[in-house]
Amino acid sequence: MDVKKLLTVLLIPLIALFFLVDQGYAKRNPGFDDKEIRVGQWGPQTGPAAPWGAVARGSKLLFDLVNEEGGIHGRQVRYFIRDDQYNPSQTMAGVRELVDRYGVFAFVGGVGTACGLAVQNYLRQNEIIWIGVCSGARAFENNPWLWQMWPAYFDEGAILTKHAVENMGFTKIAYLYQNDDWGADAMEGVKAVLKANNLELLAAVPVEPIERDLSSQIARIQATGAEAVVGIMAPTQAAIALRTAVSVGFRPQWLHSYNLCDFALMSHITDGLWASEGVMTAAFTPPIDSDTPLMNKYREAAARLAPEERWGIFYLAGVCVGEPLVWALEDVGRDLSKQAVVDALNSITERQGVGPIITWTKESHHPPRQLQVWQCGPNGETIVVQDWIENDLERP
Amino acid sequence: MPFEQLLIEGLAMGACYGLFGLAVIIIYKTSEVVNFAAGTMAMFSVYIAFHFITFYGFPFWVAFIASLIFAGLLGVFVEFFFLRPAKNPTLLGLIVITIGVQLLLAGLAGWKWGADQQAFSIPFSYQVTYKLLPGFVVSQWAVAVFIIAFIVVTILALFFKFTKIGTAMRATQQNKYAAKIMGIKTDRITAFSWAFSSVIGVTAAMLITARTILDPEFMMEPFLRAFAAAVLGGLMSIPGVLIGGGIVGLIENFFGYLSPAWKPITAFVIIVLVLCIRPSGLFAKHYVKKV
Repeated sequence: MDVKKLLTVLLIPLIALFFLVDQGYAKRNPGFDDKEIRVGQWGPQTGPAAPWGAVARGSKLLFDLVNEEGGIHGRQVRYFIRDDQYNPSQTMAGVRELVDRYGVFAFVGGVGTACGLAVQNYLRQNEIIWIGVCSGARAFENNPWLWQMWPAYFDEGAILTKHAVENMGFTKIAYLYQNDDWGADAMEGVKAVLKANNLELLAAVPVEPIERDLSSQIARIQATGAEAVVGIMAPTQAAIALRTAVSVGFRPQWLHSYNLCDFALMSHITDGLWASEGVMTAAFTPPIDSDTPLMNKYREAAARLAPEERWGIFYLAGVCVGEPLVWALEDVGRDLSKQAVVDALNSITERQGVGPIITWTKESHHPPRQLQVWQCGPNGETIVVQDWIENDLERP
Repeated sequence: MPFEQLLIEGLAMGACYGLFGLAVIIIYKTSEVVNFAAGTMAMFSVYIAFHFITFYGFPFWVAFIASLIFAGLLGVFVEFFFLRPAKNPTLLGLIVITIGVQLLLAGLAGWKWGADQQAFSIPFSYQVTYKLLPGFVVSQWAVAVFIIAFIVVTILALFFKFTKIGTAMRATQQNKYAAKIMGIKTDRITAFSWAFSSVIGVTAAMLITARTILDPEFMMEPFLRAFAAAVLGGLMSIPGVLIGGGIVGLIENFFGYLSPAWKPITAFVIIVLVLCIRPSGLFAKHYVKKV
């Protein structure tokens, strides 16, 4: 047998082996046993988006609390965090490790549209339960293995604009947005509300995530005579935009994304301007200082189990994305299976923990469409200026 | 178009770029090395001031002086421990080393102070504004930028022209070996130029961060703008770099007003155009190829 034939013969079992391996540990490993259920999350613990890494640690608080109370039907939750530094290639590496090596049963949260998109197909192909990707991008819709909690950016843009127009009476609205899917999705919501009110968007001005000088963008918006500016961008650019506007004497009403509703952080990085200018944001949780039994329970648990953590909105968001999994596991009982948890998730109806009110069915895993609108008070406190309101406009 | 506002804002940010561009060209004037770590070195030194103010409660001016001293020492340290030990270094090799230093310092800053955004204030507030004419608002910060940039560029021009060290730095750049023969301690001159550059860099970085945000990456984009200013002005011309900074700031602001989506690439377009049309920059007298 010559070398060519030998290689050809060897190639067949190699390919077969490859496909067998690619079937994966995930298919064989159910992600749980009699003692534990394995749950994972990725998030930027270091790198440029590290402040959002609190989401993954917030979920840890929830699972630590569950374990402290005896676990779920006798099983402890074994929770894994992988630091992806907000880098999609590292997200993939971390997720593959958790699936292939540990065979996690489910993922919760996961910060970032790009990071989530990097692993969406992989998780879907492996039929891994995934709850509450931290993104409201349209690209996550219609994934049967993903249950969404982060309100769609379309709804966010619509509700912020609705508040500005219908509650505050502004008619001159401009839009400053991050030049990606996030900004584009929300812009549709902004335009839909303006159209419904027979108004025109005065200007839509893009910002790149790396930009540090926003003078020209602010000048362009200022020139339109805008009374209110809806902003969809990262904290750094939002802070720079506000500083720049103040430095040229431009003081509109700012309305920002729910990703910027950490008023303590935003006031800090804007020298208090976030508070003194009364910036508003959307929000999909109750305020972190709410005096409800469940919020108090988590707050006390955080002080006891994670005293080094700041009780902030992103930390709370981590609790939110973990709650539906805990509810489903509790509903299923001791006879745990993936299908049973899927059925339990699909049966969640008008249920609320410390996050939004959730309803999921077999046909719809869409996120809630309700949001609140908050305003940063003069001392950095949260003022709820609009209680839960649902966006009833459909996408064009 | 709010012409006056774009003009004043463009010039103010442009002066920051120009000032930081000076930090880039001081090293270039001595050794022809483009220091890609300049932004990160400045960032690191600003964090030192931030640390003094936030954790030790020192007043700004004490922290500022501490930061200048640290920046000078950091410049010497980088030159002495990273560039000098390189054996038979080519220019490219030295530039690659500066990229390594940049990565190292960025990692260290992230580890020490975290990636969280921080506010850094200077005594010249962007919140205090003066209305000179209708539609013509200038902030205290912008006024401070113009004054500081003017002072620094004047001092530098005089320094290079009239002091012995300045002359020695120019001689070292023109011919290191001839300078050595003439009794100039070129190693010391190179180390001094790194210290000098680092001190000017942190001054510019403090002005920039006072209007933006402090985080480990805050100087990445301004460095590119400053580099564009240096290329435009001519890598050898001190007033040229400051004027180049002003031109970059104005072009970016006016172009950004007309077409915001294309604004981020303005600096790169300027670099490419200048290198294609006039490689020595607008204000350098002539392009000299060493043999």
